[in-house]
Amino acid sequence: MKRFSFSTLMLVLGLLFIYLPMLILVIYSFNASKLVTVWGGWSLKWYLGLLDNTQLMGSVARSLEIACYTAVAAVALGTLAAFVLTRVTRFKGRTLFGGLVTAPLVMPEVITGLSLLLLFVAMAQMIGWPQERGLMTIWIAHTTFCAAYVAVVVSARLRELDLSIEEAAMDLGARPFKVFFLITIPMIAPSLAAGGMMSFALSLDDLVLASFVSGPGSTTLPMEVFSAVRLGVKPEINAVASLILLAVSLVTFLVWYFSRKAEANRKRAIQEAMEQTASETWQAQPKQPQRTPATA
Amino acid sequence: MKRFGRTLLTLSLLGAMAGGAQADDKVLRVYNWSDYIAPDTLKKFEAETGIHVTYDVFDSNETLEARLLAGKSGYDIVVPSNSFLAKQIKAGVYQPLDKSKLPNWKNLNPVLLKNASASDPDNAHAFPYMWGSIGIGYNPEKVRQTLGTDAPLNSWELLFKPENAEKLKACGISFLDSPTEMLPAALHYLGFPVNSQDKQQIAQAQDVFMKIRPSVAYFHSSKYISDLANGNICVAVGYSGDVLQARARAEEANNGVKIDYSIPKEGAGSFYDMVAIPRDASNVDNAYAFMNFLMRPDIIAEVTNSVGYSNANAAATPLVDEAIRNDPASYPPQEVLATLYAIPDQPITVQRLMTRGWTKVKLGK
Repeated sequence: MKRFSFSTLMLVLGLLFIYLPMLILVIYSFNASKLVTVWGGWSLKWYLGLLDNTQLMGSVARSLEIACYTAVAAVALGTLAAFVLTRVTRFKGRTLFGGLVTAPLVMPEVITGLSLLLLFVAMAQMIGWPQERGLMTIWIAHTTFCAAYVAVVVSARLRELDLSIEEAAMDLGARPFKVFFLITIPMIAPSLAAGGMMSFALSLDDLVLASFVSGPGSTTLPMEVFSAVRLGVKPEINAVASLILLAVSLVTFLVWYFSRKAEANRKRAIQEAMEQTASETWQAQPKQPQRTPATA
Repeated sequence: MKRFGRTLLTLSLLGAMAGGAQADDKVLRVYNWSDYIAPDTLKKFEAETGIHVTYDVFDSNETLEARLLAGKSGYDIVVPSNSFLAKQIKAGVYQPLDKSKLPNWKNLNPVLLKNASASDPDNAHAFPYMWGSIGIGYNPEKVRQTLGTDAPLNSWELLFKPENAEKLKACGISFLDSPTEMLPAALHYLGFPVNSQDKQQIAQAQDVFMKIRPSVAYFHSSKYISDLANGNICVAVGYSGDVLQARARAEEANNGVKIDYSIPKEGAGSFYDMVAIPRDASNVDNAYAFMNFLMRPDIIAEVTNSVGYSNANAAATPLVDEAIRNDPASYPPQEVLATLYAIPDQPITVQRLMTRGWTKVKLGK
């Protein structure tokens, strides 16, 4: 038996390549020395120091806040765009609209950032809003490019959907709104969640856009980290990064755990329903051919 | 759905506007370099004046400049370096200072004020917050091993004389990668004015570097910190603060490397981080209060003790930690101060000439 096949080796190397840097980062967050690259023994002092570092913690809170807002707004806007692009097949300027929706994907961030900055400055002069740049402007900037990602993810899912289910709902008298909220949304929910999480992550690590459109009192975490690097990275930053890694892995784990549970429940429910229908039809009209229940 | 979306949008816009309009008189927005203030400076200011400070940090002059030139940066106090300040003053970014509102101005060191006025005539727009010089960081042990005990450690000759440079090549030489900071050093060494716009003189300065180019390990503006500390190079022309940081790192790593810093006796470049008020600042009175607060000896001495850079406040010197105050690298004697020059602000044509020359130097042809 081959112990180390080529594919195992590649797997190990790939995993190392991706996760070793993070592991080192976490280990060094427990470093007692002030120098990130010199090991000085184990210590928890950087985690304790975080409690006092209001500036850093403030920027963490701010980044999380913006990321939440962005995820919500981007999912809402991106889904609408995707819906129009997949369901309304013919309207004037459809190709142009499709191009415009996905353009932010390929647009260099510097250009998006600069143009948004100029827009905000011009708007402040012309209509007096935004008086000053801050969380609001960062939120708008992040939403513009995250919505494009959501639109792509959601429209892929929408295209695969079986239109007949929606048509059936409408046949039974549901208005388009009701169909959208009761039928379409639940069916595309996984892609909505994926889009939301992706927006959250994209917003959380965006540096370029945020540094263009931020204002007083709105320094986000990446900006804070980037400006601290001038004097060498401090282990405090490792500590924050480790905490974020921990939080992200926890959330991912919980999502996976609950979705697995939900999936198991659903399968069991289908199973039960099938058995029930089968026994009912058998008791009532044994002559009729058995109806196969629709699988979702 | 449409109506719902519109309501949501209106609501959020209204909320944002209410948030923006909430600005009251007791606020101040400060934009400073990261890690460039004592931990309790802002708390003290808030306790004394009741003004709430919003404090943000930037990592480079370019970041700051982008904000300032875009307009409506929202900040009331910013801290650019002097060479950038000069350009920004010409662009009309700052408001002139009303010095009658700054009674603590008298505490500032007149020699340093004069040096800094090269970028801001009459110190009309800004005052120096922290400053540093561009000198020679070296590993005394290795340099003496190579050049003997009478090595000219306190002179540009250490590097600009090709025979010295050649010998030092083995242990490593580095220069800053910045024509506007390095060429004036050579101009000054040759006895020309540092702000010379003469093509011939600049070409000669370029020649100084050309001759020693084969001996130079690299041109880089920050890599030398760790290389000096690890003993990978033995002489680096660099910023005083960075060389001191390398010294501290070497001490902390305990690797037997010792590092010294010298300001060449011919004179050296110096840079000043200047506190200024943008023209469109909305809390000007509070900005003046903060400036005046920063000129107080006890306050600025604490900043120096905490960040390690020298301040430009003569009255604060006795309050600075002895280790910093007695270190000639941070606090050179007054006569050395007089030999320093501020990095000149050159017109764009001269800058282009220098950059082109510098590229040739780096390429070595």
